[in-house]
Amino acid sequence: MRRWLPVVALGLVIAVAGIVVTLVTAGAPPTDGERAATLAAELRCPDCQGLSVADSPTASAREIRRQIDELVAGGATDDEVRAHFVARYGEWIRLAPSSAALWLTPFAVVLAGVVLLGAWLVRRRPRATAAVGATVTEAQRRAVHEEAEALDA
Amino acid sequence: MRALRWLLVPLLVVPVTWLLFQGFGRDPREVASPLLDRAAPSWTLTTLDGETLSSADLAGRPYLVNFWASWCIPACVDEHPVLAAAHERHGDELAIVGVLYQDDPADAEGFLARYGDAGYPHLVDPDGRLAIDFGVTGPPETFFVDADGLVRYRQFGPLTDARMADLLGLVLPVAAR
Repeated sequence: MRRWLPVVALGLVIAVAGIVVTLVTAGAPPTDGERAATLAAELRCPDCQGLSVADSPTASAREIRRQIDELVAGGATDDEVRAHFVARYGEWIRLAPSSAALWLTPFAVVLAGVVLLGAWLVRRRPRATAAVGATVTEAQRRAVHEEAEALDA
Repeated sequence: MRALRWLLVPLLVVPVTWLLFQGFGRDPREVASPLLDRAAPSWTLTTLDGETLSSADLAGRPYLVNFWASWCIPACVDEHPVLAAAHERHGDELAIVGVLYQDDPADAEGFLARYGDAGYPHLVDPDGRLAIDFGVTGPPETFFVDADGLVRYRQFGPLTDARMADLLGLVLPVAAR
């Protein structure tokens, strides 16, 4: 069990580092324009393949950007703007998942992978050394001994 | 430990396979509409004929809102006679409203001239605002609204006669089906 400790510790360090980086990059209070741009980048363009509203030139994306600007200027909070579009398109319209559990899933999967890989490597090593020892037979040992004595003579 | 390792294989493989199976079989845009069993968005827009039509004008009777475009080929072409037949058969108790999805009105008129104008109105939605209110991701999409003004179904992709007959059961009174 003690052999696993470095593996588990490494996994934890990776997970914590990921969370810290996410929190630090969150930033300072933004202007209306910045908020609208951030929201546009979070919303999926409805008639594109995997593009955000901010990155898309389609008429739908243009109208959604206009509605975001209008809602932000009208004093809507970020959550209210998101809710406005989720009420029409469902959670699908959001490029980033809203549930914290979904955010932690990749970290959990990576951690589980690291632990499994570590466990596998730790189990592999002792068996490999045992196998090398087992291949030296008594006959070989005697042969080496005799050759060494022949050199001495 | 050895037994645990064998248990890990199905524990990982089964959920991952299930997840992939769920994802591959469908169009990622085809998600349940949040509008289901809620009041349909209200609107007042101009038709291709230049008349003003409002959702309030349809109050009290079931209606279909069909988002389409002249560039939506072949799906909208295939679907067109299905809507025309439904309008022909159920025109008295059911209203059908077409909505141009990111289309030029002149192109839409060309489409109707070529494939037949069934006689139901088509709304011009210049900024695509109505399409956004309905959460449309691409034509054709058809919303089935009942006599109480509630969205009962969102059809994603073209309707067929059989599908239409099934779905009309959701909005039409029993005697009219």
